[in-house]
Amino acid sequence: MDFIDFAQSVTDGLLFGATYALIGIGFTLIFGVMDKINLAYAAAAIAGAYASLGFLSFMAAPAVVVFLIAAAAAGLLGYGVYLCCFRFIPLANPLATLMATVGMLIFIDEVVVHMTDGMPQPYPALFDDVYIEFGEFYGLRGDLLFIFGLAIVATVVLLYLLYRTRLGLATRAVAQQPVAAQLVGMSVQRTNALTFVITGVLGGLAGAMIGASVGVLSPLLALPITVKGLIVTVIGGLGSIPGAIVAGLMVGALENFFLTWRGVTERDMYVMLLLFVFLAFRPGGIFSHSAQRD
Amino acid sequence: MDFLLGLAQIIGVHTILGLSAYVVLLTGQITMAQAGFFAIGAYVAGMLTVLAGWNILPAMIAGGVCASVVACIVGFPALRVKGLILVVATVAFGEFVRLFWFNFDYQIEKGEIMVGPLGGEGFKQIRYFPENGWSTGEVTLFIWAVVIAVMAGLWWMDRSRAGTVLRAVGEDELAAQSVGIDLTAVKVSAFTVGGFIAGLGGALYAHYTTHIEHLNFGVVLATFAIAYPILGGLSSVFGTLLAVLFIQGFLVEGLRFLGDWRNLLFGALIVLAMNLRPRGLLDERVSRMLGQLFGRRGASEGS
Repeated sequence: MDFIDFAQSVTDGLLFGATYALIGIGFTLIFGVMDKINLAYAAAAIAGAYASLGFLSFMAAPAVVVFLIAAAAAGLLGYGVYLCCFRFIPLANPLATLMATVGMLIFIDEVVVHMTDGMPQPYPALFDDVYIEFGEFYGLRGDLLFIFGLAIVATVVLLYLLYRTRLGLATRAVAQQPVAAQLVGMSVQRTNALTFVITGVLGGLAGAMIGASVGVLSPLLALPITVKGLIVTVIGGLGSIPGAIVAGLMVGALENFFLTWRGVTERDMYVMLLLFVFLAFRPGGIFSHSAQRD
Repeated sequence: MDFLLGLAQIIGVHTILGLSAYVVLLTGQITMAQAGFFAIGAYVAGMLTVLAGWNILPAMIAGGVCASVVACIVGFPALRVKGLILVVATVAFGEFVRLFWFNFDYQIEKGEIMVGPLGGEGFKQIRYFPENGWSTGEVTLFIWAVVIAVMAGLWWMDRSRAGTVLRAVGEDELAAQSVGIDLTAVKVSAFTVGGFIAGLGGALYAHYTTHIEHLNFGVVLATFAIAYPILGGLSSVFGTLLAVLFIQGFLVEGLRFLGDWRNLLFGALIVLAMNLRPRGLLDERVSRMLGQLFGRRGASEGS
């Protein structure tokens, strides 16, 4: 167990952390706009990846198309989750929407289990034959590099959408002042629904990335990814997109570091400890302002 | 018959778990930590009866006290945050407790075999009930005696000043604070009481299943814990009982003939129930109507 091994595992973890970052951004966006938690989000992301596999079973398609289908399917699912869990439940009742998303999480997961008979499915990877070597023992895995790059592109597109388009302006307006946004004639519900679709697309990409880098998709992934995504959201600070990115990469790197050092049974304990450290000393997240958030 | 008794035991223990979350939810805090306290109660009480040879009752109380002490210690930092952060913090706490038992080994030799918790293999041979000749019926009665004691205690608390204070904090923290209620004290107390009740439930669970392992205490169990009171409604303790009967009795056991489709329906029904009855099956209006139906209680149900 020497330095090279650790450097290698941290690098792999950092690259894989890009998927956590995307999931974290999804949670953070929905929270920012609606002040609500959508616990079904990661399950919908994984289900989107599954939908793309379903398409693949009908006809052969290049991996890029598979990724796009995953994103589109998860976007649709995001809209479905909005309709079932938020549209008709009074928003003043946070317990009800929370519970509804839990029900949705179970439902989506079970649909996936049914469609696949509970068997893990192999997922196509891109560039998994590429390996960039530095020296004898250290190198970068091509498939991880690819998902890292894809995550960066997705984030840039999202930031462009949020800060350079009218849609993004509307989203940010509803996030800041829902009543004022309504008063100037915006449809809060339409904006909320669109936010769900956008985050769904992002989640679908993340789901496909998880499938591609792990190599298989399993319904068992939904719960751990939900927990990791929530942790990333809180460490990054609620509503903070840059925070979610940094926290996602950090959690990915740290997780792999402890995996190498302490083994798989203790790995997640240290991620939880990191969260507690942040809650105790920086409850507002990495990039928090001096004013404390909720 | 044994099947029905087994079902009654499951319903009893899950009612206790739900009630432990009910206390915390009354103050408006969403806690996913109950599975963690449940696990602490289960392991501590199990170790006390198996390794130290204690009687079940003191062991249960010790398990509950341990869980409530942990709840109190965790409560102070955790309850400074609320909403999503509290959900995440408590999920992380629960997972941390689970992983702790996953990595925890403490075995002693007893007779021919080694007993005690053994990491991933779990804690086998918690044989207090069979060793002392308790029949299934007696165990069930014992569990339900504890359920009734807990329910009666909480029902009484609901009607006392303490219940009013809890609800005041849950409805509007600012208003509660402005009439001089110490928010932190109230929330941490509720958390501690919830921890104690969950610990009791865990102790019972460990003894009637005789075998516990870390996987029993995951996020799913924590979700169930808050699902019962939310689905049942927070207007009274009976809502939680109703929801446990509905989920464990009807959805899990009653629909067993549906096979694999049952779980699918389970998620869909929760979504449907929350859309139709966002304040729970037994919300304020229904419980007031029931109160009037049974006469006397209607007058005091005006909260």
